Amino acid sequence: MREPVRTIQLSVNGQASTVTVPVRKTLADVLREELRLTGTHVGCEQGVCGACTVWLDGEPVRSCLLLAVQAEGHQVTTVEALGTADHLHPVQQAFWENHGLQCGFCTPGILMTVVAFLREHPAPSREEIREALAGHLCRCTGYQNIVRAVEDAARRLRPARG
Amino acid sequence: MRIEGNETLHAPRDRVWALLDDPQALAGCTPGLEELRPVGPDEFEAVLSIGIAAVRGTYKGKLRITERTPPLRYGVQVEGSSAAGFVRATGVLELEDQGVQTGVRWSGDVQVGGALTLGSRMIPGIARMLASQFFQCLDRKLQEGAA
Amino acid sequence: MKPQVFAYHDPSSVEEALELLARHGPGAKVLAGGQSLLPLLNLRLARPEVLVDINRIDSLDYLAEESGWLRVGARVRQRWVERDPAVRRAVPLLAEAVRYVGHVQIRNRGTVCGSLAHADPAAELPAVAVAVGARMVARSRAGAREIPAEEFFTGPLSTALSPDELLVEARFPCSPPGWGWAFVEVSNRHGDYALCAVAAGVCVADGRVRDARLAYAGAGPVPVRLPQAETALREGWPLEDALRAACSEARRLLEPEADIHASADFRRHLAGVLTERVVRLAYRRAVDGAGGARA
Repeated sequence: MREPVRTIQLSVNGQASTVTVPVRKTLADVLREELRLTGTHVGCEQGVCGACTVWLDGEPVRSCLLLAVQAEGHQVTTVEALGTADHLHPVQQAFWENHGLQCGFCTPGILMTVVAFLREHPAPSREEIREALAGHLCRCTGYQNIVRAVEDAARRLRPARG
Repeated sequence: MRIEGNETLHAPRDRVWALLDDPQALAGCTPGLEELRPVGPDEFEAVLSIGIAAVRGTYKGKLRITERTPPLRYGVQVEGSSAAGFVRATGVLELEDQGVQTGVRWSGDVQVGGALTLGSRMIPGIARMLASQFFQCLDRKLQEGAA
Repeated sequence: MKPQVFAYHDPSSVEEALELLARHGPGAKVLAGGQSLLPLLNLRLARPEVLVDINRIDSLDYLAEESGWLRVGARVRQRWVERDPAVRRAVPLLAEAVRYVGHVQIRNRGTVCGSLAHADPAAELPAVAVAVGARMVARSRAGAREIPAEEFFTGPLSTALSPDELLVEARFPCSPPGWGWAFVEVSNRHGDYALCAVAAGVCVADGRVRDARLAYAGAGPVPVRLPQAETALREGWPLEDALRAACSEARRLLEPEADIHASADFRRHLAGVLTERVVRLAYRRAVDGAGGARA
């Protein structure tokens, strides 16, 4: 069979782009290879590790379990939209200061999950944080510091009292 | 993975044995079997096409009859591979004389490799489903033969 | 690129989807949430020639309560069911169990009907469907038919749907008054498939169990309902005796398989322990008049 392709309009981080992609190509691969947004990492490619987590219309999803053609007409947000090297997002800052990452491979996905999670749970318990992180695998830092970073991030994001 | 089960075939043991000893009859009842070619004494090359939901694969491999003790025990060994991985299995059938019917005690040991390993959780259930299709078919053949 | 080449269609109406399924037969595969299908495609365990993506069919995106039934259209994401207070009231067992399906990232995309049609024997929603007596609405070009949950699941990853049929809706009966529901599960990690899970409902009047429903995931090739254990709950008294009898029926009758995660014996043991736990919880909720709502 000839490779079926489709030209689609993608909206990623608020920017529209037109790309022609094979219909079988996952969103994760199109983000990285066509749009050169390599912050989204590809680990297991079967929805287990969580490294490829992005937002689709503001909700975290696995970009390896979505075909790029399916993202047409939706808003995609990747880790590149969170902060810059000079202006880290408060959650990124918290991960840095609490040693919530080491090699950093799993981090972009975790950040996308955590920012969305804290939006809905501004003052989460440890138990809730652990459940929220259950869909992410980290093989080097270990989860203690990641949980600590999320707790710290929650404090940073809560409006100051008084 | 070890799997076992019991079935009842509605024919006397001699007839059940005669059917089991006929490769063409067996072939007709093996789910998904597309080709069975003798390549030596008690050795066959087989092509099987098995599909469970979207997971379809064509497996090419060898089937060997490892034991034949009429009318009691029958042993087979199967090896096959597809693009998704490989399957190795051994199986033993034991026939128990129950007069007008025959009890079959079957057991098997299944190993899988490659991407198929990811589905290993479901392999015993799938093997059981295929085994039950196989025995239902044998039973139909036996009853047609009797009619 | 990981999946093998396929032709991709994303029809915007059910009629077009049915036309495609009729034309391509077993070579076509329906793509709903894709949370089970995409892994199979990426690993090339599944190599369909044609994908029929139903995500552009807006008419399948409804969640409605109607004359005693909760109707869940084929595009309804699990996350919608998890968040909707109406589901918690109408079918509390579904609302409780859906939280055990994968992770939030999976439930944001995965659909209720997709999980039912995928028919993983260790999945939560098929067990819920069997426990409450849900009905599956299948459509093909020839027409529509309703399939009771207990007849729908025919084997691991296998259902009564034929290749030209689309599961367009799942109907869950709303919980009648007097019933309490509960779902409990043991898995290696939160979000993993169940080593064993039990979905239960009991109807309590004057402190006694008048009726019961029990369904198990991870305990056989399909979600298993246990009428014998239900009878034990209905007929046993006092409650402690009824519980003991129901647990021993569960351990006696279930035939779970062994795999690398758990032996068959351990799963049977779990089924007994979880039966007691889930029935106590459902009983308390029935007595409190809480149905199955979380506090």
